[in-house]
Amino acid sequence: MAAPTVPESKQLQYISQQAADSRVNVEFETEDGMTLNIGPQHPATHGTLRIITRLDGEQVISCEPVPGYMHRGYEKLTEVRTYPQVTTLINRIDWLGSFANEVPFILAAEKLMEIEAPPRARYIRTILFELSRMANIVLFLGDLGAQLGGVTAVFYAFRDREFVLNQIEAVTGGRFHPNFDRIGGLKDDLPKGWIAETKKCMTRVHDFCDELEDLLIGNEIFQARTRGIGVIPANVGLSYGLSGANIRGSGVDWDIRRDHCPPGLVYDKADWKVCTHPDGDSFSRSWVRLQEVRESAKIVDQLLDSVPSGPVMAKVPRIIKVPEGEAYVATENPLGQMGYYVISKGDLVPFRVKIRSASFNNVSIVPWVTRGVFVPDVITILASLYFILGDIDR
Amino acid sequence: MNQLSSADTEAPPADQQAEAPRDERREALISLFSAEIGDAVVGTHIRAGDDLWIRITREAWLETARFAQQRLRMDFFDFLSGIDWRPSPYGRDMDSQEDIVVHGTEPKEPPAMATGYAGGDTRFQVFARVFSTASHEGVTLKADLPDDDLSIDSWVPVYAGANWHERECHEMYGFTFNGHPYPVNLYLPGDFEGFPLRKDFPLLARRVKPWPGIVDVEPMPGSDDDEGAEGGDS
Amino acid sequence: MGLVEKGKIPKRLNDLLALSRKYSIWCYQWGLACCAIEMGAAFVSPRYDIMRLGVIPFPASPRQADLVIISGTVTDKMAPAVRRLYEQMPDPKYVISMGSCANCGGPYWDSYSVTKGVDQLIPVDVYVPGCPPRPEALLEGIVLLQERIQSEDPVERFRGEPIVVG
Repeated sequence: MAAPTVPESKQLQYISQQAADSRVNVEFETEDGMTLNIGPQHPATHGTLRIITRLDGEQVISCEPVPGYMHRGYEKLTEVRTYPQVTTLINRIDWLGSFANEVPFILAAEKLMEIEAPPRARYIRTILFELSRMANIVLFLGDLGAQLGGVTAVFYAFRDREFVLNQIEAVTGGRFHPNFDRIGGLKDDLPKGWIAETKKCMTRVHDFCDELEDLLIGNEIFQARTRGIGVIPANVGLSYGLSGANIRGSGVDWDIRRDHCPPGLVYDKADWKVCTHPDGDSFSRSWVRLQEVRESAKIVDQLLDSVPSGPVMAKVPRIIKVPEGEAYVATENPLGQMGYYVISKGDLVPFRVKIRSASFNNVSIVPWVTRGVFVPDVITILASLYFILGDIDR
Repeated sequence: MNQLSSADTEAPPADQQAEAPRDERREALISLFSAEIGDAVVGTHIRAGDDLWIRITREAWLETARFAQQRLRMDFFDFLSGIDWRPSPYGRDMDSQEDIVVHGTEPKEPPAMATGYAGGDTRFQVFARVFSTASHEGVTLKADLPDDDLSIDSWVPVYAGANWHERECHEMYGFTFNGHPYPVNLYLPGDFEGFPLRKDFPLLARRVKPWPGIVDVEPMPGSDDDEGAEGGDS
Repeated sequence: MGLVEKGKIPKRLNDLLALSRKYSIWCYQWGLACCAIEMGAAFVSPRYDIMRLGVIPFPASPRQADLVIISGTVTDKMAPAVRRLYEQMPDPKYVISMGSCANCGGPYWDSYSVTKGVDQLIPVDVYVPGCPPRPEALLEGIVLLQERIQSEDPVERFRGEPIVVG
């Protein structure tokens, strides 16, 4: 039992050292080239990733991301929270698609408890999952434009994202930390008139996609800045654990929703397709994401027509104790594959939760993919890989 | 893929699945592993139609990864991390058993140390998961680490994505990965003391202040009985 | 501005100065986590449009800013940078702490790596509660700050002693 007692002198030493560390916010020349520090914070970002690049002229020799400025100790905190409390925490991992974070954890707990959510809950879960995907990727597309100098896209994205958030808020009460998923079902049923409203919202999402395709994806400057930049071959991407649109942009036809969807989500009830792009560059990743929003809207449209009636909550005990066992459940989240490896000892709290978050793997390829590119392309590559800092650092 | 697993999750792990339905595909996978690395396969566990666990020796860790990637086409690197099987001070009450002592309550007896699927002999284990994007099958690999030598071969030569995972595991558990190209802290500041994910790492904020749910109890909505008012204290 | 430094500023002039300061707040966005999205929604989205309140959200560096909004989780690794940011800002300077994490640690109250409240590092003028606060809540926080600027004594501010709301 080693309780670390940190003396004050040591704390000061640490803070000064760290302050000195973060003072390296300027460029300085070294013997072989120049070191450029990007970050840890930038007004255009939400979250903090520091990147240290070594340059030779305009070309990147090496690039090392320094994550950890957002590390909040999720894996430890899940060991001291009860199962219902954990969902409150894990909402905040990928904060743009919060509901999607809850689902794999709840599914893992359900798998261990051998509970199945009623059919209506499964449909609503899938719909909300897709709505949070839209809220997430719509902002990505706007942000991508902003990072590449086309600020207009952000305004469109924030405008149309509000309509999706309204729908999520109408059901869950939270704009983007719903904490709505429960072991065995959902907290509440849909509000009256929600299905019709959501249908209207989906036409807006389709319009947004068309608009953005003209505005951004079809833009000549955008294409010039993204095509052929940051090419990731499929086998390299897989060995780095890239998932989601990043790996589909490299031509790997693999989507968890279609191929091995965990029980509890009903993607097989809708007719949709998985989009891939063979190029593997920044453009293809962005293009695949835009198509995913379209497909999501299609899925939601179809599922809305066929939501079965019935209860939204299965019979579960008041105080949840999950039986002993281990389970790994992964779902196709907006950022890629997100999985929870839950080890239970039959207690109130999980014994160990390994959170496999998508951005962590997606960003770990940055040193590989940025070798030899030019400085502006680093921004393109980072924007197109699409990470959320909470999802890297947890 | 199959529906919710019908395998009994409460059955004792490792090698005992007589009751459970058979899963030929995963059994075939185990025999492939056994054929390649032989005695290095120490324990296995199958949840039929769902998942597979294989425990291997520490020496065969890198070789197994290479075999899985190159021969079994498990091309997708999922994650790598560690487990500390020491009984957790949390979970029997809302506050940690060690913190309860500080606030003047008797702690409950900790249970004996028990390991999970595919067994285990030591306190620390490294576990990793790889996945095949072609056949959509994954396997969770585990390896024991003896207490006096917490080191294991790095997977970076095989799965490049293991780089960051091993750095994280290194700072969270204190494991050493032999052959890792850049073994420095990923998340925590350089002079952070302790290994946060070990079970004996104390959360000091909880020492100072007990779990708010104990002090500030709200009755459950819609219930007259005060069962819910115990704040989750079972 | 010699009058201000000497503390002999006439009341009317004071009101005029306060009025002009409160409607031209250059606001630096220090977006750290989820709250940054809500801050972005308040700043960028046409629905909330913070500029109608006279807040200008585009200073290029903290050296040109009057106000910084700390939105999100401050970790121990980030703490020196936050401290540095505050030191770089010219007086009079104001801080809004947005969201539970910046206020007190929020859901990470027992974490080993999160700073339990940004007020341990820098003085805070307005706390906006919520996890995350809605954009409207941030707007209200800014309105409250503006009232505060209108009613405060600039002599106190220019002396460099920040007034902290408890």
